[in-house]
Formats: sequence, structure tokens, C-alpha cells
Amino acid sequence: MEKLLLRNIGVTDSHTLAVYQSRGGYQSWEKVVRNMKPAELIEEVKASGLRGRGGAGFPTGMKWSFVPKDSPKPKYLVCNADESEPGTFKDRLLIEQDPHAILEGTLIAAYGIQSHTAFIYIRGELVAGAKILERTVEEACRAGYIGKNIFGSGYDLDVIVHRGAGAYICGEETALLSSLEGGRGWPKVKPPFPATHGLFGCPTVVNNVETLAALPWIIERGAAAYAAMGTEKSKGTKLFSVSGHITRPGVYELEMGYPFKKFLEEDCGGVANGRKLKGVIPGGGSMPVLRPDELEKVNLDYESVQAAGSMLGSGGVIVMDDTTCMVRAASNIARFYAHESCGQCSPCREGCHWMEKIFHRIENGEGQASDLDLILNISGNIMGNTICPFGDAAAMPAAAFIRKFRAEFEAHIAEKRCTVRTQ
Amino acid sequence: MDPVKITIDGKEVTTTKGKTVIQAAAEAGVTIPHYCYHSKLSIAGNCRMCLVEIEKMPKLQIACNTQVAEGMGVLTQSPKVLAVRKAVLEFLLINHPVDCPICDQAGECQLQNYYMEHNREASRFEVGKQHDRKKTIFGPNVIFDGERCIKCTRCVRFCQEITKTDELTVINRGDHSTIALFDDSVLDNPLSANVVDICPVGALTDRDFRFKVRVWYLQKTPSVCPGCSTGCNISVETYQNRIARFKPRINEAVNSHWICDEGRYCFHELTGGERLTTPLIRQEGGLVPATWKHALQAVLAGLRSAKAAAGMMSGRSTNEEAFLFAKLMKKLTPGSPLEVCYQERELTETQKILMSPDRAPNFRGARDMGVCANGGYESLLQKLLAGDFSAGYIVGEDLLEANGADVTRRAALQKLSFLVVQDIRLSETAKLAHVVLPATHFGEKEGTYTNRKGRVQKLNAAVIAPEGALQDWQIFLRLLDSAGEKLSYSTPSQILQALAEEVALYQGISYATIGDQGIQLGGGGVEQS
Repeated sequence: MEKLLLRNIGVTDSHTLAVYQSRGGYQSWEKVVRNMKPAELIEEVKASGLRGRGGAGFPTGMKWSFVPKDSPKPKYLVCNADESEPGTFKDRLLIEQDPHAILEGTLIAAYGIQSHTAFIYIRGELVAGAKILERTVEEACRAGYIGKNIFGSGYDLDVIVHRGAGAYICGEETALLSSLEGGRGWPKVKPPFPATHGLFGCPTVVNNVETLAALPWIIERGAAAYAAMGTEKSKGTKLFSVSGHITRPGVYELEMGYPFKKFLEEDCGGVANGRKLKGVIPGGGSMPVLRPDELEKVNLDYESVQAAGSMLGSGGVIVMDDTTCMVRAASNIARFYAHESCGQCSPCREGCHWMEKIFHRIENGEGQASDLDLILNISGNIMGNTICPFGDAAAMPAAAFIRKFRAEFEAHIAEKRCTVRTQ
Repeated sequence: MDPVKITIDGKEVTTTKGKTVIQAAAEAGVTIPHYCYHSKLSIAGNCRMCLVEIEKMPKLQIACNTQVAEGMGVLTQSPKVLAVRKAVLEFLLINHPVDCPICDQAGECQLQNYYMEHNREASRFEVGKQHDRKKTIFGPNVIFDGERCIKCTRCVRFCQEITKTDELTVINRGDHSTIALFDDSVLDNPLSANVVDICPVGALTDRDFRFKVRVWYLQKTPSVCPGCSTGCNISVETYQNRIARFKPRINEAVNSHWICDEGRYCFHELTGGERLTTPLIRQEGGLVPATWKHALQAVLAGLRSAKAAAGMMSGRSTNEEAFLFAKLMKKLTPGSPLEVCYQERELTETQKILMSPDRAPNFRGARDMGVCANGGYESLLQKLLAGDFSAGYIVGEDLLEANGADVTRRAALQKLSFLVVQDIRLSETAKLAHVVLPATHFGEKEGTYTNRKGRVQKLNAAVIAPEGALQDWQIFLRLLDSAGEKLSYSTPSQILQALAEEVALYQGISYATIGDQGIQLGGGGVEQS
């Protein structure tokens, strides 16, 4: 398969403007500014079938079209580079090795909604990435891709790189906007939605790094070429970050709909050290874990993974072999969410910590038989009842680990110790 | 205002476009349980207590942030809704200390109330509560208990949106989230104690009131704040015949949901100290107790023989009292100038949200009753200092403490050949009097006040005056009676009836028309100072 997103990865000095230009960089941007009306661009992106790669999979062109055309307020495009989902490191690769592709995509998206100020909000811990992006913006500025009267078209655009302070929740788009405004990284109550009331109350679109990085290719080759790849509803290609007990971990670009099992066994070389697969999380830490028997017919596209009871999410594939204690894995994930809950709304603030404390107790051999149903009940009480999707992100994996590995949890409680790692 | 038809629990309700479900439900008499929602603050949507089912929507929605739409079906009592309320209450209480026996909020706590109504289960939480700061002083009037806090952020939003003083914020994350002062800030804005009223739980309590009374022992009397002429509506809350606290009473025409701190705590100054319980008459060697009969006779004799008398009345006197005082002085010393004690001070922008520049809640009404001289209070005071009067009748005000210029004033008052002081305490002024009459304060009397903007509102007696003191209006009635003016009325409501007939501006005013929200004079809102 031809690589779209990873086409520049591995090329020497791929992060520099000179190398990016030598590989056709910014020709899409020039084409858009010189030849396309914003409405045409939005139609093109809609036709490509591109969906948000941050995890929710919302159609990108449709998201742009919600921005009011006649608003007197400034409009903002925000590139979400706050990649923090456990097991996900695809955006980081692009940021470090193909930052101009992200920037070019950001410019194209900004033009689509007629924004004159775009922000790249980068996760606080990605210090090197932030420096690279700042240099990238500087280079593009000097080359005239950003600034006043771009390509003599009269269109002005400024891009600002903003570093977050390292909170997972700031990857959620409304929390990101709160943070960007200078406030606490708290998700906003919806409605109103960012498309009409986003950054500083102005129309705003937030797109993920990977989503934006796909745009130059779509403009270069056309929507039809992109839509020709993938499945009926999941078009194009997607990046997968594979980690855990796997022979060849790393970032992979796959055509949507690629068979999951084949991917793990052939592309990634199977479970490390020839061990048996015990479970795999397909879409980052907040998605339900799948057992090997559930993988048989799963393809890597939004619909197929959902049909299997999980979600494609960010494409963060976490592989666990048969030496993994699922109690410990669940406890680890629960601890992450308890630590990262922003604390704004009651069910998440209180529920995440409560679940974490029970998981911890079970892991330490102090669990009670009733604990499993209690966690399932708590996770059910959080699900769907919170301000933002974080509550679901904490509740789903907790419930999935217990439902799918219940016997192991019960044994752990009964034996008051791990029954897997001590075999 | 487009009408919108929705159903709430199957009952059809007509509301207007732009309203939220919680507002539409409230209009229809359905209270949807909530913590963070407050009608005067922005929507936070964080407590999740008001989650309701909207037909055709897969997830429950918060009623505080869901706008009504034509044909919307709202379910506030469905199994899903009842289950989520129970769940939210459980979440809110897992880290709560449940220290109700020593919590001031007990009895008026929405955690207690809703838990009783919607949960009632024993706790399933047995893994160690998250601790937080206890008894943290936020300001002169407010103290915070972080463990009781449910992070509804009403207090934070109040300081951002109502006072715009921004003292409070949320710090930390997850279940470590807590309310805190910004660095170097103190919660000392002029409306600070309102955060105690809007705190739905026991996290913010009133430093003045805390640990004094269990709230269920309080008797509540609707009244008007005596602090200034804004006339904020209050509930005077008493225990064992003492005022324990003021709470705001909602009146959108006057004070909305709020009262200022100065008004809230003014009852200490206005009611404290040792009370006079017997009239005093000056004899050789000083003031000695006398009977009411003797004291009133002395007042009549003294005023009748005065060449020129001045009458000064506290701005805390009621309309009824001012009406009788004016009548009395006209009868005894015709032509005597009368005035309401009135002084202004500078106010900051935040103070101006509610406070008026005076401390005379009924100066306008008293002047309407004829306690009003050419040139006003300052001019009358100057004449008094210049020695223009031989007698004076001072009601309810201590001229010597109200202002620091004691020396000349004291000398002027001492020069009077006859001075009557009617007050609740033996004030500095009263010590110079020839006759002292023990009277009552705002909390002991019934009557009406007219606020700065001309709204007539009702004062109700919340506590009983001490034995031996008389209501000011009773004193005036007795004096009038002794002076030969036979009046047919003997209660404040009858006095109001009489004044409504005699004072044109007050025509038609009665307890019935005043109601519990007051009535605007002349139907207008012209400001008078």
C-alpha cells in the first residue's frame, strides 16, 4: 500500500522545509489558496470521507461546515497536538518527523473555515515537538506560506504554537479551548458547540494532527483517490501505534478495514517471544479490551471494531500476552483516569477515584467478592452522565476488563494474590 | 417570546422559546433537583443532579442547559432519572465527612434533603475518604470546609459574575479539586456572605452565625433590612427572643437574592448593649428612674414651655412612628423644625450593587410623613449647634456617636434647657437628656419603611421588646392622648390606615397592598435623596 501519512517518515531531515518542499510540500496549499473557494474545499474534504483521527471519527468536512459563514466574530482553527491517550504515539511521530505536513494541513483547514488565526496546541511534555513546530512555523512564515496576502490572494493567516501544561483532559476539544483561553483545562458544557461558540466564544474547529496531516495528500490526489481506499464508511488510511508484548512495536499506516489479526500476526510479527495473546486494546487506553476470540473477524475500521464491542479510537493498539495480570492492567488504567479526571463534574470526579481504589484493593489481595459488581455498577453510573467523554473513557475499560476476564479477577480475590504472574 | 409547548411527565406545559427545561419545569411547579444551577448565575452543568430524560434522546440531559423545543417530552421521574439521581448523590457523599451533627447547614442542607428523598441507602464506600482542608478562613465572614464541598462552583461564579471581585477559584484536579482563594486575596467584598446562602451544602458557613443555633429552632419573620435605604428584603431569624441572623428574601424589584454584609450583620450594633427598661428623669445628681406617667408628663411640660424646639428622628423609625411624631410636635410646639438624621458616605462600585450611601432605611418615608424641614438635616444640625433652640426631642439616634465632632455638639446639647431622648440604650446623647424614654428597635416593631426608590415595605416584629420599654408609636400615642389629641387608632395597621388617608402620596397603601414584596409609591421609581 502506498503510504499517505508516513510518506516522508524516514527521509533524512524530513522535518525541514527544504526536504518537505523537495517532496512536493506546500503545493496543495498553493493550489487551495490560488484555485479553490472555501466552499469547494469543504465539499472536497466531505467527498474524501475523511473522519476525525483524534478518536471520535466525526466527518471532518461536516465539522467545518457547521462554522457559520456570516458570523462577525473571528474564526479559529486549532490543531489538536495534545496526544495523550495511553498507548498512542502516532501524532508525536508526525510532529517530530513531518511537521510541515501538519502545518500544511492546518493552513488548508484554516482556509476552509476562513480563519485568520490558527493555533497548534501541543502537549506540554512534548518539548522537542514544540520546538520543532515553532521552527516549522518560522520556516513557513519566511517562505510566505503564512502571513499577510498569501500567494498574493489577499488571504491572511497567522499560526501560533501553544504548549499545554500536560493534562490528559486538554486533548478533549472543549477542555483544550479552555486551556488555550488561559483558564483551567475544564471541558465546557455543550451546547453551545465549538463550531459556533468555541475559542473565546468564537466559531472554532479543532482537528487532530493526523486528520490535518491527511489533507495535503487529499488535495494533491483528489477526494476520490482518498475515498477509493478503506471501507464504505471508513475511508482512507489510519495510523496505528502498536505497543506492549508485540514483536515489532511502532507506528503503522494501514488502509481502513485491514484485518486486525493479520495485522498483529503478520505486519507486527505476532506476540513477542512466541507467547500467547491474552488481550488487546484496539484504540487507546480508554477503549474496551478485546479477547483473542473476539478478534477473529475484526477489521481495523470504525464500524468493525465497534461491532466487536470496542472502538477504533486513536488507534493505540496495546498488546497483552498470557503473562499479563489483567487485575494489574485494569488497576493501572484506572489509576491513570483517576489521576487525570479534571474534577469538574461529580460522577467522574468521585467515580474514577472510587473505582481506582477498589481495583487497587483487589490487586493488593484485599478485594471482596462484591467488588466486581460494585465496579460494574459505578462504571455504569458514570457512563453517559458526565460533561465530557472522559467519564466514558474511564468507565468503559474498567467494565470491559471485569466482564472479559471475570474468572481471573475472582481468582485474584479468592487467592488474595495474583494467579497469573506467579504461575 | 414565542410560545413553546412541551410535556413534563406527561403534563402539557406552555413555556417560551429560549427557556431551559429546569426553568420551564419550575414555572410549571416541578422542581428538578439541582446543586450547581442557580437562576442568577451562569450555567456550570457540573453537579449532574438535574439529569432528566428527554424523549427520543439516547442519553440523559442536564435540565439546566437543555433548551425547550416544540413537542419535547421531558421525564423527571422515569426509572433512569431516579437511578441517576441516586447515583449522583452517592458520588457526592463518598468523600463527604457526613458530620451533620456538627454542621451548621444541617436542617437546610440539600445533601440531606435530596439524600432523604432520592437515595436513603447505606454507603457502599469503604476504601478511604479523600481528605481536604477543614475550617479554612476565606474572609471576615466566611469559613470553608473543603471536605463538605461538592465543587458546584456557585461561590466561584458569584464572585466572578455578581461582585466581579474574583477572589475564589478551583484548584487541583480530580477528587483533589477544591475551592481556594487566589494568592493574596481575601473574600472580603461587600457581598461576601451571600456565598454562604448559595452554598447548597455545609462547605461555606457564616463565621458570625456558626455553632450558635440549630437552624430548625429558628423562627423566621419576613422583614426589611434596617441597614440602609435600599430596603433589601430579609428574613429575620431568631432564637429565644434574640436575632440570630439575617437571610435575604428574594425580591427582584429590590435586592434579587442578595443582601450586603453590612446589612446582614447590622443587627448586632442596632440591638446590642444594655437595654433601657424604665424611663429616666433628670434630677439633682443625675438621671433617676421614673414611672411612664411621670416621664410623659415631664415631656409634655418641657416641650410646651420651650420657646423653640427641634425634633430629630432616626431614619430607622417607621412611617407610622414618623406620622405620629410629626403630629405630636405640631400639637406641642407648632412650627418646630423636624428632620430625619441622615448622612451620606462614599461607596465603591461593588458596594453600589446593593448599598445606599446612607444608614437611614426609612429617611424617605419619614420625610413623607412630615419629619422634614427646609434645608434638611445638616442645616438643622447647624442651627442646633448655633444655639437656635432651647429644647430638643431626639428619637432613636445617638448624635454623639454617629459623628466624631463630639465637643461642639456635646456643648450645644448641654445648653438645651430641655432635651428628650427616646432610645433603646442609655446613649451618649441620652446621658445629657432631661427625660429618657425606653423604646424599641426595628426587630421589635411592626410598621412600614419606604425605601430610597419609594417602595413601601413591611417590617414585622421578630422579637419581643423588654418589659418596661414601649414601642415608639405607643409613646407618641400616649403623649398625644395626654396632650388632648384623642385618636381612634391604637395599632400600627390603624396608624397606617390613618396616614394613608392623610398623606396624599400614600393613598391606598395598606398591609394588603404592600404584601410581602412591597408596593411602589405612585407606581413610579423616581429616586429621591
